[in-house]
This record gives sequence, structure tokens and C-alpha cells, in this order.
Amino acid sequence: MLRAKNITVKTADGRLILDDVSLTIKRKEITALVGPSGSGKTTLLKALCFLDYPNSGTVSLDTKSYDFPLNLEDEATQKPTPWPEVTAVFQQLFLWPHLTLRENILLPLKARLKDDSKKLNAELDELIKQFDMTYFIDRYPNQTSGGQRQRAAIARALILKPKYVLLDEITSALDVEQAAKVLKALALLKDNDIGVLLITHLINFAKTSADSVVFLDEGKVLAAGSTELITKPSHPRIKDFLSCAKAAS
Amino acid sequence: MNTLDILIKYHPAFLEGLKVTMQLSAIVWVTGLLLGTLLGIMGNKYPHEVGLPTRVLSFILGGIPILVFLFWLHYPVQFMLNVVIDPFYTAAFTFAIVNIFAVADIVRSALNDFPKQYITAAKVCGMGERQTFLSVQFPLIFREILPALLLLQVTMLHVTLFASLISVEEVFRIAQRINASIYKPVEIYTALGVLFLAISLPVNGFALWFKHKFTRDISES
Repeated sequence: MLRAKNITVKTADGRLILDDVSLTIKRKEITALVGPSGSGKTTLLKALCFLDYPNSGTVSLDTKSYDFPLNLEDEATQKPTPWPEVTAVFQQLFLWPHLTLRENILLPLKARLKDDSKKLNAELDELIKQFDMTYFIDRYPNQTSGGQRQRAAIARALILKPKYVLLDEITSALDVEQAAKVLKALALLKDNDIGVLLITHLINFAKTSADSVVFLDEGKVLAAGSTELITKPSHPRIKDFLSCAKAAS
Repeated sequence: MNTLDILIKYHPAFLEGLKVTMQLSAIVWVTGLLLGTLLGIMGNKYPHEVGLPTRVLSFILGGIPILVFLFWLHYPVQFMLNVVIDPFYTAAFTFAIVNIFAVADIVRSALNDFPKQYITAAKVCGMGERQTFLSVQFPLIFREILPALLLLQVTMLHVTLFASLISVEEVFRIAQRINASIYKPVEIYTALGVLFLAISLPVNGFALWFKHKFTRDISES
């Protein structure tokens, strides 16, 4: 499992972004991370995939544990490089614009392509079918719609066979139909034995598809548990947030 | 005597001048592109130690007309140092300095402005630094800067005309000499224009071809 324990993140001027946050992501489960904008969700995601190191706390990936701040002067301490075991798909996708979607998906596997070309192409064909990408897979990112790019970005993460995928607001820029297609694709991640952390404002999706929910507010975990947290909210702050989300949807 | 007649009659002189112009340009292009790229990369990697001084020097150089810089290096500096340097080398050095800083500016800006998200995406996909540089950074940056670099090199070719003013026997000086003997300024400078077009057009054509073949609108809606 991917676990964050007592994570604290501060800005350079000392402002607290995450305050003693703990969270666990299990394989074959979708954990929904909900909360208002600016509550520290993306910061937590970046700490979990070791893109930004927290000021203090521990991040554990299965059997390996990293205590922060890292003591890099100690020769035994190594910088964590857990990718692509842990990978992420961001709101702004970051597909490489000079490559087609197919090339985007295959580029991270380039080193393996020489030996396993047949196998990898078969895997890609399978993904293309699963994600319904046949007719646009050879287009460049800017020749495709937001939903198509989103599916390609998820496919790029999935072909790497990660154990954990962290998804940051991946449906926020999509219309209802495209969002539904992407969310359908998420079920495939779970089926592939992958643990998913999903930052989302889609409360209904979190209610129906997530196995657990974490509510983050002002850098703190306000509540964590089953989906009852949002189906039968008891905390006034969560009730307030959900009523706003309902009004906006 | 028309332009064609002049080109035919004086072609040995023109070729000799063109040879000097091309030698000068080759030195300016090679040193500018190699050292400028290196300086740009270093300036991006060490923004305080290399980047800042380079930017300051580039800013100062940008404010000095090339002709003044050339004259300054040719007359007062050599007088102060009590040395006499072949004008060809003075011109090559002057234009190379200008080209190095201009190339460094283009390269450094492209590296600074490169969207870091593409590197983050490569990182979370498990790609190493080398693969990220070769497959993501380099192709994107190269496509972005190439048209500007080619345009700059064409400009540097045109700038070499200033070398005639410190007695370098390049093609413009040859044209001036021919004009002094037969006084046909329209035809002679048209011939000179034709020669420069013959060199510049392939470079501009290559830039256009490259842009058409390798660069696309990559902005996302």
C-alpha cells in the first residue's frame, strides 16, 4: 500500500499547506480525495508521488519507507525514484505535443520496445480497444478533444503497469459525456490491481465508485472513511461543502 | 554594361570577395552556434554564476551598434594594447562575439521557458534524464529555436559587409572597388544583391522547409 503519515508541507515563507496529514491508498481500491480548492489536495498528491518532498512525515511504498526531510548526506539514504510504480495523471495532462497519442503512450517504454515489441504492441492494441481510441490514436494531442487526450494520458500511465495511479482532477475540463467515458476507464484501473487516488469534485462519482473517501480542508484531514462520509455527512463543514457542490452541479 | 555583364566580367574578383565573405561567415556561424549554445545551456544551468553576467553583457552589447564595436576593437583597442591585428581576424572576432551572445540569448530563453510539466510527465512515467532530454526537451526546443537561429545567421552574413569598412577584402569591398573603376552603381550593387540572394535564399528556404516539415501548431484548445 501507498501510505502518507504525518505529512507536513510549508511554503518558503512558512505558510502551512499540509498539516500532519495521513492517508492510505490500497491496491484494487479507489480512494477519493475531496475538498475545496486550495485545501492542499494537489500538494498531497505531489508528495505521494515524490515530485515535491514534504517538510516532515513519512511516505511508505509497500515495503520501502522514506522519512522526510531526507538526510541525503547519509550515504545510505537514496533519493526516492518510485516511478512508474507510482505514477500520476494531472489536470493538464502534459501529453508531449510533438508526438502522436500512440507515440506518447509508447515513448516511456522505448527501452523495452526493442526486446518486447510484439508484446507491448499487443498490450497497446488492447488498451486502444478498452479505451475506445482506435480512430484517434495516431493524431497529435492538439488534434483531439479533451476527453480523448484524457483517455490517452490514462492509457500512458496504465501501460507502465503501475501499482498506484494518482489522478488530479482529470475530468474537470470535460463535458458530461467525455467525463463519463473517462470515469468508465477508471474502473479498468481497479480491475488491473491498481490502487487509485482520485482528486475530484464529482461527488456523485465518488459516492458510487470510490471505496474510501478523504476530506481535506485547509491542509488538514477533516474526515476519512467509507463513502458514508459523503452520502450521510455529519460534519458541518462537509455538509456545507456538499451542498455547494450540489448547487454547482 | 548590365548586371549580368558585370557579373561575368568581374566574376573572378567577385568570387574572391565571396570566398572571404564565406570564410568570415563560417567562422562567425560555427563559433556563434557552438559557443553560444554552450553559453546558453550554462546560463540556464547556472543562472547566477553564468546566466546573469551573460545577460548583462548581452544587454550592453545590444546597445552598441555593431559598426561602433567593430571600429572600437579595430582602432582604439589595438592602439591601447599596442598591437596590430589582421582586420579579417578583428572582424571575425567582433561578429563572433555578437553571434555568441545572440545565440546564447535564444538558447537560454528557450530552456528557461520550456514547460516543466513535460519533464514532470516524463519523470512520473519512469523516464530517465537522458531519455527525457533526447526525446522530449531537445526536439521541442530545437523546433522552437531553429527558425530564429537561421534568421540570425542570415543576419550575421549580412553584417559581414561591415568588415569592408576596416579594409577586409570581402565581397562588398570588391563591389566598391569595381564601382570606383567603372562607376555603374545600380548594376554593381544589383549584382551584389543577386550574390547575397543566392546565399541567403537557400538558408531561408531551408528554414521554411524545416518549419513546414517539423513544426506544427501544437497549441491545445
